[in-house]
Amino acid sequence: MLRVDGLEVAYGDLQVVWGVSFQVPKDSIVAILGPNGAGKTTTLLALMGLLPVKAGSATFQGDSLVGLPTHQMVERGLVMIPEERAAFASLTVEENLDLGAYTPRARPSRAATLDEVYDTFPRLAERKAQLAGTLSGGERQMLAIGKALMARPELLILDEPSLGLAPIIVERIFEVIRDIRDRGVSVLMVEQHLEMALETADYGYILEMGSIVTEGAGSELEADARVQEAYLSL
Amino acid sequence: MSSQLILQSLVSGILVGGIYGLVALGLALAFGVLKVLDVAHGELVMLGGYASFFAFTYWGLDPFASMPLVFVVMFGFGLGLYLLLFRYVTRTEIRTRIKNSLLISFGLVLVLQALAVRFFTADERTISTAYSFEAFTIGPVRVPVVRLAGLVVAVVAAVALEWMMSRTRFGRALRATSEDWTRAALTGVNVRRVYLIAFAISAALAGIAGSMVSLGYSVSPNIGLGWTLNALIVVVLAGLGSMRGIVVAGVFLGLVESLAGVWIGGQYREVAALVLFLVILSFRPQGFFGRAHA
Repeated sequence: MLRVDGLEVAYGDLQVVWGVSFQVPKDSIVAILGPNGAGKTTTLLALMGLLPVKAGSATFQGDSLVGLPTHQMVERGLVMIPEERAAFASLTVEENLDLGAYTPRARPSRAATLDEVYDTFPRLAERKAQLAGTLSGGERQMLAIGKALMARPELLILDEPSLGLAPIIVERIFEVIRDIRDRGVSVLMVEQHLEMALETADYGYILEMGSIVTEGAGSELEADARVQEAYLSL
Repeated sequence: MSSQLILQSLVSGILVGGIYGLVALGLALAFGVLKVLDVAHGELVMLGGYASFFAFTYWGLDPFASMPLVFVVMFGFGLGLYLLLFRYVTRTEIRTRIKNSLLISFGLVLVLQALAVRFFTADERTISTAYSFEAFTIGPVRVPVVRLAGLVVAVVAAVALEWMMSRTRFGRALRATSEDWTRAALTGVNVRRVYLIAFAISAALAGIAGSMVSLGYSVSPNIGLGWTLNALIVVVLAGLGSMRGIVVAGVFLGLVESLAGVWIGGQYREVAALVLFLVILSFRPQGFFGRAHA
């Protein structure tokens, strides 16, 4: 569904992503893992057209993504939840969700998706008139996911969904991510939280210093001694 | 000093303050959404004023009748300016936009002023309609209708903008973009189009402010900077986030200026405004109605 080949990204003269390749098959959860500063977020931002791609290719359902404006990717069903505060603090919960269905693709099914989202996160329904800025961290992440679902994604990209959340909420978020996959939406996530991500992911890539160093099925990677040594022991 | 004089100057202050607010609405919109500081905003007021003046002089169009026309023409002018100049500013990072837009728009000030002198001459122009000198009196105070109209137009424009921002899809996209353009783009908003339209609305608002200026006050090629400065003070006073707040702050500035004029002396009007500006910047930088930003 998503195929990235030899992606290189630089901030001016400073190159941070060196020929990264990975793919996300349909109906699966793929995780890109790695320490802070490995180039995970940079890779995602370049993929979404928010940073210039220096070299390499990225195709989504057969079409090249390179050079496409971000909003058109959303229209094609490629939806990313950025790290932290993905919802707009100055808009209410419901305004955020409504804005989530901004693209022509999502507009017709807006009411139905809204019901689904409120079903998944009853908490959001309770707080729909509240400003997003007043929500707790967990609620805000739920709103971010709900808002992304409003766009009717084919592939949902999450940047550090567990960041700054209490363990019990992290569990809930990962449960929702599996649920989203089971509903036919593929998921690509970037995580530092190895254990949780590998348990959830069907396939994982380890990114270090801007290059993929290891890849494998989630359970394999979990068992991989190198991964164990590099991260889980920390 | 007679209380009548004070009351009269209070009313004049409120009325001119309405136009300060109207001019500031467009400036606040461009600043809030695009993060550009367009110091040529006052020149757009000047152009709107001329548009109104010439429509009246050559076609006999009443300034209220030509106002929609001025709105549309200046909207188009705003589209052109954005595509020609400000588009390049908004491609840069947020924190360099203010600096870049200042340089570009200051150049624009000079160009528009020179063109106005060349084509419209340096003469001061005012629209004089049959009702130009009409006024009604409340007690001892005289309220000129053409100046009252400026305040009314400002209030209507602010309410319309707020309605648009809270009730329409585009308005929500606008608010989202002003909070964080990256996240707006990730939500599916065409950020460049939002910028384009917001800038055009800003220019159109300056245009109708110009209509009111040419009716209640006067237009000449060099009026722009004064209106820009006042609008800037108003935006700082009000803070971003509330359009009605902008008009209220405009009225407040008008009041402060005219009271300073009466009590301290006419030449201190601007000084009072600038002192107010500095006080607000020092003690409440987010403004009266603005949200404190993290």
